[in-house]
Order: sequence, then C-alpha cells, then structure tokens
Amino acid sequence: MCDFDSDSIIDDIIRKGQKIADEVEVVYGTGKFIHASLKGDEIGEAGGSESWVFGIRIIDGGRIGSSTTNNPLKWEECLDAAKAGSKFADAQEWGGLPDASGTTGTPESRFDENLVLDSAYLTANIKELLNGASEYNVDVAGGGASASSSFYKLTNSNGLVYESVRTRTGASLETISGTSTGYESDSSCFADRIDPYDIGKKAAYLAAHSVDAGEIDSGSYDVILSPIAAAQLIGGIVVPALSGKNVKAGRSYFAGKLGEKWLDGSFSLRDDPFHGQGSKARDAEGVPARVLDLIKDGVVNTFCYDLKTAYKYGEQSTGSAVRSDGSPSIGFHNLYFEGDRQVIFDEKALYIHDVIGAHTANGITGDFSVETSNATWREGGNDGDAVRAAMLSGNIFEMLKSIAGVSKESRELGNVIMPSVRFNNIRVVGK
Amino acid sequence: MEEPRYYDIRHVCGVSTHIDIENGKIDSAGSSFSDSAILRVLGRKGWGIVTIENFSSRTKKEINGFISEAMRFASVTEEEIVLGDAPSGMLKVPKIDGNPVDISLEEKCSLLQSIEAAARIDGIISTRAGYSEGSSTVCFTDSCGNEYSYPVCRSGYGINAIAGRNGDMQAARESERTIAGLNMYHKEHKGLEAAERALKLLDAAPAKGGKMNAVLDQELAGVFAHEAVGHASEGDLVKEGISVLKGRIGERIGDSSLSVVDDPTLHEFGFMPLDAEGVMPKRTEIIKSGVLNAYLHNRQTLALIGDGDAGHARAESDAVPQVRMSNTYIENGDSSYDEIIAECRSGVLLKGSRGGQVDPGRGVFQFNAEYGYVIENGELAGMIRDVSLSGDILQTMHNIVLCGDDLRLNQGYCGKGGQSVPVTDGSPHILLKNAVVGGQGV
Repeated sequence: MCDFDSDSIIDDIIRKGQKIADEVEVVYGTGKFIHASLKGDEIGEAGGSESWVFGIRIIDGGRIGSSTTNNPLKWEECLDAAKAGSKFADAQEWGGLPDASGTTGTPESRFDENLVLDSAYLTANIKELLNGASEYNVDVAGGGASASSSFYKLTNSNGLVYESVRTRTGASLETISGTSTGYESDSSCFADRIDPYDIGKKAAYLAAHSVDAGEIDSGSYDVILSPIAAAQLIGGIVVPALSGKNVKAGRSYFAGKLGEKWLDGSFSLRDDPFHGQGSKARDAEGVPARVLDLIKDGVVNTFCYDLKTAYKYGEQSTGSAVRSDGSPSIGFHNLYFEGDRQVIFDEKALYIHDVIGAHTANGITGDFSVETSNATWREGGNDGDAVRAAMLSGNIFEMLKSIAGVSKESRELGNVIMPSVRFNNIRVVGK
Repeated sequence: MEEPRYYDIRHVCGVSTHIDIENGKIDSAGSSFSDSAILRVLGRKGWGIVTIENFSSRTKKEINGFISEAMRFASVTEEEIVLGDAPSGMLKVPKIDGNPVDISLEEKCSLLQSIEAAARIDGIISTRAGYSEGSSTVCFTDSCGNEYSYPVCRSGYGINAIAGRNGDMQAARESERTIAGLNMYHKEHKGLEAAERALKLLDAAPAKGGKMNAVLDQELAGVFAHEAVGHASEGDLVKEGISVLKGRIGERIGDSSLSVVDDPTLHEFGFMPLDAEGVMPKRTEIIKSGVLNAYLHNRQTLALIGDGDAGHARAESDAVPQVRMSNTYIENGDSSYDEIIAECRSGVLLKGSRGGQVDPGRGVFQFNAEYGYVIENGELAGMIRDVSLSGDILQTMHNIVLCGDDLRLNQGYCGKGGQSVPVTDGSPHILLKNAVVGGQGV
C-alpha cells in the first residue's frame, strides 16, 4: 500500500533544496516488519507494518538543519522545517558532503532472499522455542519471533546515491520457575543463522539452574562477564568515550589519552564495517566506511568522527556516522572485542550471565554498580551452584587495565561481537 | 471474510521539536513530523495488529483493507482473549498557559541558552543543554462506536554540567518536564545547581558498599515506587506469572505507614485523559496502609485477573498498548525530614536518580543515586558519589520504617517492551533499614 514514487520525491527535494541551501541530503528508508508474541506459552498477538521515512538535511553557510517525516505528501513542509532549523544553528566550519568516489571495501551481504515474511515462518520458530524450553521444568512467560526486510537510500546534491537492503529475523523467550527467571534471544540477517530450539532451551536452563540459588558473602572475587553482561557495560560506557564529539567537548574519559597505553596490552576494540549485521560500504552520511582500530593492544588508537564533528574540530571523518532518528550521529558498524584468547572457565569464578541497571553507570568516570542476573559459580568448565543475588561494583576503565583473559569463542549480539571476559578481584556485595 | 469481534484505531499525528546546545553553541534545532496509527482487531482468539503510516490520507476502503490484513494476522493466535467491561470516556484536558507550540523557536533557543550559560562557571569544562517538545493530536475510535480526540503537548529541558580538575571529571544534571506549558522561564538557577553539584562531586568520596540504613530522597524513593512496586503491580506481568506480587492481594507487604498510588488523572507529566484502549483512567491505590490492594490493568488483564482497575493501557504513537504506570507515588506519612535523618542514626542519604531497573519475576530491583551523604550519629557528614541500591522487593517493602511528610514529584520516561512513555514518580523522604548499598569505596 506504498503508493508514491519515492525516487521522484527525492529528486524534487534535491532540486528545490539546492535553491534554498548550499547542499542537500535526503535519506529514504522503507521496510516491512512482522511479529508474533507469546503471552505465557500461547501466541496472544501477531501483526505487521509497512513503514517509510524521509529525512532531509540541508547545509547553508555552515548552518545545518534537519527534519523528518513519514508523510510523503509533506516533504515540502519537511524541507521548510530543515531550513528553519538551520537558521538557529550556529555556523561552523563545513567542507562539503561526500561525492560518489570509491569505497574502501566490500561489505558482506545482509540480505537473505530465502527469508519469507509470513506468519507461518514465525509460528514455526515459536514452536521450536517452546520445544527447546520443554527440556527443563519451567514455565514460559513470554517471548516471540519477528522478521523484517528494509531498503535504504541516501542521496545528496553532490551526486552521491547509495542504496542498501537488509533482512533480519529474531526470536526470544522468557521463562520462570518459582522466582527464578531466564531470558534468551538471538537475531541475524539470515534465517539459517538463528536456532529457536537452542534459544528456548537456554532460556529454560537459566531459570531452572537458578532455582534454589544460594547467597554470596560480600568480598572480592574472580568474575567472568558473559558476552551479554560485558556488552552492556563496555557498550554503554567505553564506546561513548571513543566518540570524537564527546572527546572534543571534554566529556570523555579518553580525552587527552590518544596514542597512550591506558588499558590491558591484550585488549583491542575494532569497528569492522564489512563483516557483521551492521555491514555497509558507506556510513550514514555517505562517507566510505573503513576498518577502525579504536583501541589496539591497550593503546587508544583513534576516535570516531562524523562529518559535522570532524569539520568542526579540524579532523577527518572516520566514516562513523549512523542514523537512528533522522539526523546522523557518531556510532559504530560492527564492534569486535579482542583479548588474550584462552580457557577462562577452568579456575573457579563467579560467572555473570546478565546485569540489571547497566544504564545507570557513570558514563563520564566509568564507575558502575549493578545487580547480577543468573549468576553462577563456574569451575572446570562446568556450572556449579547458582548465586541468587549479588551486586557488582567497580570502574570499567580500571577493570580493562587488567583483563585476566577472554574466551576462545565470541558471541554475535546484533552488531557487537563479544567474548566472555574474565577479571580478577572484583568487588561483590552479597545480600 | 470473518468479521472481527472488536477493533480499535489509535491515530497520533504531531510535530516534535528539539534544540541542542553544546558548550555555548547551538548544535542543532528543528522540527520533525509524524502521522501514524495502530489498528488492533480481536479475531476468533487473539489480537491482530497493523501499524499504518500516513494515516491521515487513508480512505475508508484502505482502512477496511487493513482490518482484513489484521484479521489474517489474528488467525495465527492461540490465546483466547476476553475483554473486561470498563467505562469508556475521556477526562477534561487542562488548558495550557503558554502553549510551547505558540512560542517561537527563537525564543525557546534564547531561554535554553540562558540556562546553559548559567552552568558555565569556573571549574566546569563541558556543558550541554537540550529542549524537547512533542505536540500531537490523539484520535481514538473503536467498533463499539466510541470516538475521542484530544491534543497534548509535552515539553521539557535538561542541563548537564561536567566539572574537571587534574584529570578527574564528575557530571551533574538537572531537568524538568511538563504538560502545563513552556517551563524554561527564569530557570537559570537550574543550570547553576547542576554546575555547583558537579564541582562538589569532584571532592566526594566513592560510596562504601554493604548493608546499612538508607534514607532515600523524594526522587530516588519515587524511582523505588515505580521500579519495585509499580512494575510488579502491572496486570500483564501478574497474568504471565512474572510478578512477585501475584496472588498477594489483601496481604500485608509493608509497614502500615506505606501507601502507593498510580494516578493517571493527575495533571502531571504522566497524565492521560483516556487510556490507549479508550477507557476512562482512574486513580488506583496499589498499596493501602501496607496491604496490597489493587493491580493496574488493561481490559484483558482486568477480565482475567481482577482485583484492580482498567484504564492503565498506554502506548507510543504507533505501538501496541501495554499495561503501564502514569503518575506513581508513595503517599505522605507523618515523619519530618529531621526525624528521618535522626532515626537513621548511621547510614547514607541517597539523593537524585540516574535511573533503575527491575526483574519483577525474580523480585529484584536496582537503581542508582546521583550522589549522597554519609549519616553519622543522626547527622549528615561527607558527600559520596556513585552509590546504588538493590534488593528484594518484598523484603525491602517491610524494611521501609518511616515515610516523610514532604511528597515531591519528578518527571521522566519509562521503558517497557521496547516502548518509552512519559511518567511521573514521587515520594516523601523514606527510611529504609538494612538496605543493600553498592559502591566501590573501601
């Protein structure tokens, strides 16, 4: 029911926009999405949507304005709003939008032509979730399955046109046994890369294993953060500190630390735009994306810049622009955490599957204090007694100065690829 | 084709405006437009859902086509849904003094600049201020013939200040949000407050973790009411068996001084004149004098669970309604602030909130204060930073031993099921015995 000509509207926006501004950029996104949701162990709702959005950005005399609309009939109003916004923005140094010149690599495909967006696919996945969960004596509280396909087109007045397509599928399950809960999920661009049965089984195991969990005394312990727990703390604190905008504005822990070895010598953090669910040849402003060694062997190697921040502070864009709500911002494409790969599950440690409250950490200093979820003692590669409740406190930057090791396998969590990470002598508060 | 047992359409059409100022420069300012609706049909068993973009331009024929599409989705559902009876209706929408929509972007930029400038004092190395405004018209219609429409404009500002000294940094934030009109006039003191607190935090000690008595200020105790009590009382979580409050109606779960309310009829940030199912909202006393009294419901959970009120369904503009809180608070007790600090004797006073999270099935919550003070011999001592609180909901409820008489409300947003809705939390100061306090100090 998408009955408008998006190419014609984009052309009109560029043409009219060039009459009122130096440069114009149009982002058009459209997609289809279907889902089915479990309420308890039955499908309670199923639905779908077809959506689209036009995002317009203009640059006029170094003043930037932007606007979005999901009503194609309102593109002129949207363009006027972008122009109006630009009048209030302070002028900044501006070196131009990118042209169509070459990219630096070839991204892997994110489109599964075999993924069919119909309800039968979702109900089959949900059946497998429930089959997997039946391996343990737990109740299913919720969950579901989803699938989507999307098209993205970036056009600017310098002649750049960049298009990409993507599919995505996901499944999740929430379980409970008494007051012990478990949750697992997975997503991929390809249908054959998620295993709903395994997701259901793992969610059920988490709830089952934590029944009759014991207490832990307050003290310092060797701790292993699962990929989920590590991604929450590192993604929420360390990644924003690598944003060039935060560094230049004086609100990053890494400000003034470029080129210096501040972290564990085994630790590297890499953004690879060509391999993973966030793969793309160009960033959200059309700048060719490239591999960035953000932290290399413990050394803060580079910060991330989009065009606006780079021009403002005399830097080069690193092709790190991403878009979530229309206007570009600084982000990453596929984030890889690397460390000293070894067997980290042999010596006894507290293994923390997930944490509650990672978003409440101090993003400036790195101090955090979170509640653990599905924590368990682990030794000799096997789970021991579960721990009912414990609060984990520390400073993530200090912890990353001394990493005891990372697991040999990494887990793909969307566009974050993370191993389990072991730290020694971490403060734990028991109940 | 089979006809739906029931359907409703919630259409939201509006304009959002933002201003961002960073270190004295206007980084961006502008407006965006949205126009979408969510259609729900009740098939033979469960819900079929379709989101409709650009709804204003849709014809009757197209809408009938969407109803058919939603029925096809509903055909795969298994849960037999029954809707409880709840009075449909709409509360009067309060008149706004100084509607932000009628005030120029230029004036709003100027007001925000004044607040941001007030934060740029000696020792402050970075400032950032933001203004956001969402103005929309909400239209609801259902197959029972109910039709409602109302305007809403939510706006607010926030100011962040970062203090720096010898490589150390600390941040503080002030924010206010409202439905009562533009709230940025004469608020320069808020910028200054954020800056001065950031500077003081440079000298604050890291909190020592452990079990201790804790006094929670109105903002943090409000977050407790929201995270620990409010979420666990949501009827959908009770229905699905993932709330520790399931099956406890009529049970004493806290001290007799403790009463917790969710009131969507209050003209605060979480106000709604009708809920997302067209039901007339009403005040619900979740905990009454220490006894669990009622759950929050939508029509479906009311029919299944009972023991509470419908009228608590809420949703983002193009999303499925969920059972949600609105304005949630602990009611005033009769203790003064001085009495609470004195009674604490030894422990911590926790102030402000950096947010929180709960696992209502496990009955565990966590939240983080912005800062606090050590309490020694019933008096405030040194300032502390990065201090958090976690615990078991049911155990903690019994450990609230004093409620103050100084209720205050704070505005924010609450996330659930991928949706974020505006809420107000509030409380008087409360005294919590044997709280589990987290911090990395030794």
